[in-house]
Amino acid sequence: MGTVEIRDVRKAYGQIEVIHGVSIDIADGEFVALVGPSGCGKSTLLRMIAGLEEISGGQIAIGDRVVNDVVPKDRHIAMVFQNYALYPHMNVRENMGFALRQRRLPRAEIDARVMEAARILGLEQLLDRKPRQLSGGQRQRVAMGRAIVRQPNVFLFDEPLSNLDAKLRVQMRSELKELHQRLGVTTVYVTHDQIEAMTLADRVVVMNGGIVEQMGPPLDLYDRPESLFVAAFIGSPPMNFLEGVVEGADTLLLDDAQSIALPMSVSGKGRTTVGIRPEHLSLAATGWPATVAVVEPTGSETQITARMGEHVVRVLVRGRTDAQPGDAIHLTARAEDIHLFDSRSGRRRRPGE
Amino acid sequence: MTATALPAPLRRKSRLGPRIRIAAGVLACIVFLFPVFWMVLSSFKEQRDIFTTPPTLFFTPTLETYISYMQRADISRRLINTIIVAVGSGLLSIVAGAMAGYALARIKLRGAGTIGVLILLSRGVPPIALAVPMFLVARSLGVTDQHITLILAYCTFLIPYVMWLMRGFFLALPKELEESAMIDGCSRFGAFFKIIVPISLPGLLSTLIFSMILAWEELLFALVLTNRYASTIPVAIAGIAGDTVNGANWGALTAVGTITVIPVVIFALLVQKWLIQGLADGATKG
Repeated sequence: MGTVEIRDVRKAYGQIEVIHGVSIDIADGEFVALVGPSGCGKSTLLRMIAGLEEISGGQIAIGDRVVNDVVPKDRHIAMVFQNYALYPHMNVRENMGFALRQRRLPRAEIDARVMEAARILGLEQLLDRKPRQLSGGQRQRVAMGRAIVRQPNVFLFDEPLSNLDAKLRVQMRSELKELHQRLGVTTVYVTHDQIEAMTLADRVVVMNGGIVEQMGPPLDLYDRPESLFVAAFIGSPPMNFLEGVVEGADTLLLDDAQSIALPMSVSGKGRTTVGIRPEHLSLAATGWPATVAVVEPTGSETQITARMGEHVVRVLVRGRTDAQPGDAIHLTARAEDIHLFDSRSGRRRRPGE
Repeated sequence: MTATALPAPLRRKSRLGPRIRIAAGVLACIVFLFPVFWMVLSSFKEQRDIFTTPPTLFFTPTLETYISYMQRADISRRLINTIIVAVGSGLLSIVAGAMAGYALARIKLRGAGTIGVLILLSRGVPPIALAVPMFLVARSLGVTDQHITLILAYCTFLIPYVMWLMRGFFLALPKELEESAMIDGCSRFGAFFKIIVPISLPGLLSTLIFSMILAWEELLFALVLTNRYASTIPVAIAGIAGDTVNGANWGALTAVGTITVIPVVIFALLVQKWLIQGLADGATKG
């Protein structure tokens, strides 16, 4: 059984606590991505699941067994590292078979499993090569092959694609997804790249400063970020934010004395941040006045950078537009596409708050 | 395309570079090797030919000094002693030093850094200050003039040396290698012996060779701790050089010196591939 249960897990180095009680339940076969900026604790959490870091508090269970004090080799996990960590003195075949040799499996079975993994990953021709004779993408595949042959209960990935160039990364990303669909093994995947997290995972866990900001299916996080941090972190180009004070029922007074009429009634006290995704802003005859600063067409869509007073907003328009730098435009957004956050706490404002 | 686009001065420079480097290399070789050459040359001269002015390059070579001294100063036994002690202390220190260096590089231990520095600082103590206490200890244990005594004495300076060299070597290895091995089913020791040691073989071997050479030419401890049975070649050389009764026998000195150098040279030639590889890189970029 490949479930992973993380219960109020903490990590401290001496007096300094870096993970402040994280709880995540991962179902059998689920693909969970841990994502966040560097230093948020995502890699540390992964290494605690692997048994490479001690758990300072709380508990981690793999299957039905609490593994806090179980050594890495007995956790039935496989891990792929950012730098692949291939054994340089062994060829591809020996690298992939190493874990099985450690378990003293019969030679025939080792060979069969290695061949099967090599076939899945297209490594049959490279079995006798040493790691230094392989390209980056091939090394990456060998690292995955080494994990596959183990037939583990859980796969752990620590930024496995970040050493590859952009094109290869996209290719390996879809290969990884296909592999997961095929093998159906529980996977915990650490990345700082939100696109990777969004595209690969069944569920994304956004971490920040040693806590879980929010977790859920990728599109839920995109559609309903519970905090300013998640709103800013998920999505590219990032969400636009306008901060000010609510006046009356539906007007936001910005710091540069601009007032923005919102298409819904807002009943908030204190400072409020309005968040709108670039693709949810549209050009209209009436609305919030703005001036076009930069127009960047990519063919399928056009990104417009516009100035609203002292604020800069990005607008993503499907297809093409005749807007030119310097043009005066008006922007609108639908009420359901506008996110409201309490500026001080950073939390999402619910109706009536 | 890039080759033809290269500006002319760059191409000329690249042709000039190797010549300067070769010339510098030849010069350095002459400076370093001339004394050795002169020693070997003199060892085949008769005593009266050694100090002629100007020095003679052409003379009738003789093996007389070799033959007489090989018997007289017990050179062959001392040669065997030196081999035993150099190999013994080299092997012992590489095993202990490499493991200590690995621990310093990898194991999170409170005060590990301090321990490492203290061990390194122990090398700052002048050997002569240690030699006398060592002799007293050896005498009260009744182990003076024995191979094992000298081997252990040499380990006192070889282990810190190996430890620090190998620590640097291990630090350059990505720690994910062992972590991966530990997930793959190894203990910490298993990961060290199955992954780290094979990868570090060039480094281990070159460190071992340097340790053995250090032990091979060590004089002070050998002089103090041995007498006849376990005495080594450097002691014999010192004895000839410091012969206050008959005066230094320069012929004998050069002959014994040559005998001392030959095994080291042969050994270095045999393992030079490893030596260069070990010194040049960690050979680990996986």
